[in-house]
Amino acid sequence: MEVEDALRMMRDPLGAPFYPRVFQVLLLLTWVVHIYFVTVAVGSSVTTIYGFRRGDERWLRLARSCARLTPSGVGLGIVTGIAPLLFVQVIYDPIWYASNALTGFWSVIFIIVVASGYTCAYVFYLKGSADGRLLWSSVLGLALLVLAGWIMHVLASVSIRPEHWREWYAPNGVADTRGIEFHSFNVARVAFLLPLQAAIGTAVTGLIYTWYRLKRDDADREYLTWVAGLSRRLGIIASVLYGGVGIAWAVTEGADYDLTAPMAIALGGVGLAMAAFFAAHRDPVGIGRRALGAWFASLAVVAVIREVIRATALSRFNYDVGSYPYRVDWGSVAMFTVTTIVGVSIITYMVMVLFQSGIGAGERIPRGIDRLGRVSTAMLGAWFAFFLLVGVYAVVAL
Amino acid sequence: MFVAIIASFHVIASHLTVGAAWFNFYVERRAVREQRPELYEYLRKSALGLLVFSYVWGAMTGVGIWQSTTAGNPRGISTLIHNFVLFWGSEWYMFLIDVVGIIVYYYTLGKVDPKTHLRLALILALGGTGTLSLIVGILGFKLSPGDWLHNGEILSGFYNPTFWPQYLMRFLLMQTITGAWGVLMASRLPRDFPERQKVIRWAGTIGLVGMAGALLVGRYWYWANVPARSKALLSTNAFPAVTVDLLIGGGILTAAFLLLASWKPQLQSKLGAMALFIVMFSTVFGAERTREILRKPDVVNGYMSSNQLTFTGLPARGIESEEAKLNRDGVLGSLPFLPAADDIDSGPSPEYADHRVAVGRQIAIFECSGCHSVSDQTVIHLGDNQLALRQQSALLRKISANDEVSIRAILDNLGAYPFMHAFVGTDEEKDALAAYLVATVEEQQGPPTTLPAPEVTPVGGGHGG
Repeated sequence: MEVEDALRMMRDPLGAPFYPRVFQVLLLLTWVVHIYFVTVAVGSSVTTIYGFRRGDERWLRLARSCARLTPSGVGLGIVTGIAPLLFVQVIYDPIWYASNALTGFWSVIFIIVVASGYTCAYVFYLKGSADGRLLWSSVLGLALLVLAGWIMHVLASVSIRPEHWREWYAPNGVADTRGIEFHSFNVARVAFLLPLQAAIGTAVTGLIYTWYRLKRDDADREYLTWVAGLSRRLGIIASVLYGGVGIAWAVTEGADYDLTAPMAIALGGVGLAMAAFFAAHRDPVGIGRRALGAWFASLAVVAVIREVIRATALSRFNYDVGSYPYRVDWGSVAMFTVTTIVGVSIITYMVMVLFQSGIGAGERIPRGIDRLGRVSTAMLGAWFAFFLLVGVYAVVAL
Repeated sequence: MFVAIIASFHVIASHLTVGAAWFNFYVERRAVREQRPELYEYLRKSALGLLVFSYVWGAMTGVGIWQSTTAGNPRGISTLIHNFVLFWGSEWYMFLIDVVGIIVYYYTLGKVDPKTHLRLALILALGGTGTLSLIVGILGFKLSPGDWLHNGEILSGFYNPTFWPQYLMRFLLMQTITGAWGVLMASRLPRDFPERQKVIRWAGTIGLVGMAGALLVGRYWYWANVPARSKALLSTNAFPAVTVDLLIGGGILTAAFLLLASWKPQLQSKLGAMALFIVMFSTVFGAERTREILRKPDVVNGYMSSNQLTFTGLPARGIESEEAKLNRDGVLGSLPFLPAADDIDSGPSPEYADHRVAVGRQIAIFECSGCHSVSDQTVIHLGDNQLALRQQSALLRKISANDEVSIRAILDNLGAYPFMHAFVGTDEEKDALAAYLVATVEEQQGPPTTLPAPEVTPVGGGHGG
């Protein structure tokens, strides 16, 4: 069977419940949020270990903050990872399922690896971050998180090489069902997406931390200025490397799909732009929000590049997201739209409360935020009425 | 089995998040209204435990179920995704509310005004219930797709016949898990802590009421909506007796513990409550296994079988049955990842002396591996011991099916077993599978000791599917 036929047959006969391009956009947007938290978890874990190894007072203080950040980063990384995992299966089901089957062993133990990494990070935060005991737990946690990242990289890499699936699945025509081999990977790509993005993500988070903590009346300005300066230096160095490794990715994997030039320009450009951003702000204390904005814009470019690689790899076999079969299901669309409105309102409210609490203003929540809380909570309550009414409609009218 | 273990963790963790959020809201409401700040000590312990254990582990095991089913049965999960992706996306928002919520809830305890914090407690409870609402429809669909099988409408599949009773039953069951959690958290407070006994009593009572309600709803509403064919499976070998023991024994122990907690709260200890969680894990494991068995041999009852083929088709969505075509043309070379017979074991030095055996192995992987261990590659070796789940060769040896004639007879009658689907493919392919099974029985189980094979009596007996 030809690859093109196999890809067509492997698409789910039910099709998508909405326009497939919309799922593609949602995939990109949610991946950006997901990768931010994942890389922050990795970067904060490295900073924790380095800080405790350095041992001076400022580094210890920073390391303790990072030890607290790592498990939250992992938790949010997992939760935000659910959405892209969902959308990729809608429009790229043939390649996602094939790569998971071909890498079955690692795919199945992936969550055990992540859960163990999370547990190690939490054990260190709860039991060791006060005095640096159990640092091995943090090191082990980092190793496991990197392994988890590697597994995801291999899954993505295998998925865009359908021309090799048959030989990987059944060398000499004898099926190997263990799924234990890492069939495909690209070192430059994984170095770009994991350690270097972790470094820049950590630098950006350091600047956000500085900006936020300075809002407190009892802020330690000297310490926070040091954190901001450190973040800026890390940002400059990591961004330059980021651009360089991005070009290496372009000339290796990019060359396979005739994408070397556009990838090199885009990825090298992103690295240079981020380096210039950090370098231009000689007083980085108040630039947290701008840094975060610039970083999310860069991650969006990377998300698009990843998508271009995938689309180009599959276009060789006439697989195109735009032609994925679909049938608009308005019931599902209504449910998703209403829940999006409610969910975004509630999450905005809760983040605002956390913000106010963090700057010491929790006892006097501003009126506007309180009103948002009242309205969004009422909306959440009303959501149940909507949910049940849709159910009654489904039972009675369909 | 792996999925069931992860699923059991997930059920405990995720159900706990919902029930405990309501219980915490109840406790906090009393703390605010009756001005009893000492209750916040309980809330702090409970929130930290939930943050570390329940929410994040709930999320991780949820993704774990996804990953393991993706690797094990991709077309099954694909059916769910392509029907319910926007419901799942909606659940994701609710889940974000849960996870962001518990972080905000814990880190703002004592740092925001009580009214605002009580609102956060309510949001957590509502958000958790939202996740429950949205996942129940997807879970119930696999067992009872209902009108979806005729009209293909996603809403019909979501609000399926077991949706409503399962929704209520799970909500009540959550209170049982929450009761145990409340006892565990409160028993960590010092014995002379003023509100310790009161919280334990509340928790025990709520847990008991939830359990009684769940049993009633389950028996008289949920069970009435389970498809008759699924109910019949419980009286076959597919449903092991140990599962019944787990369910009944676990249920009795849990009820006894909660009764003791509400009657004699002063006797409760951390150790006892932790032991209860182990008991509940076993019970949930039994329940999850039962839920899996009820669907056998399908992934989606009445639509897709465990070999991932659609056997009925869905005319309302323009989907044809795949089985009819494959019975005519054969499975080899007709499906992705199923090479044509000539391409199997086609290297310069073939691994198998008999090409039919090599072909049969490929068919066994395709048709049988959804439920059985079919080759040495799916056996875990621990020293001299082997771990192989529902190993085909062992099951065949158990009924003395050692030769091609008896195995072929079993393959001819597979569809008569209530927990198995009929063989899909041509007669040649069936012959090849029989040849492979004969070779595997001999290789994995050694030479036969009892002969000859008994007559095949499929319905309700035979080997566990």
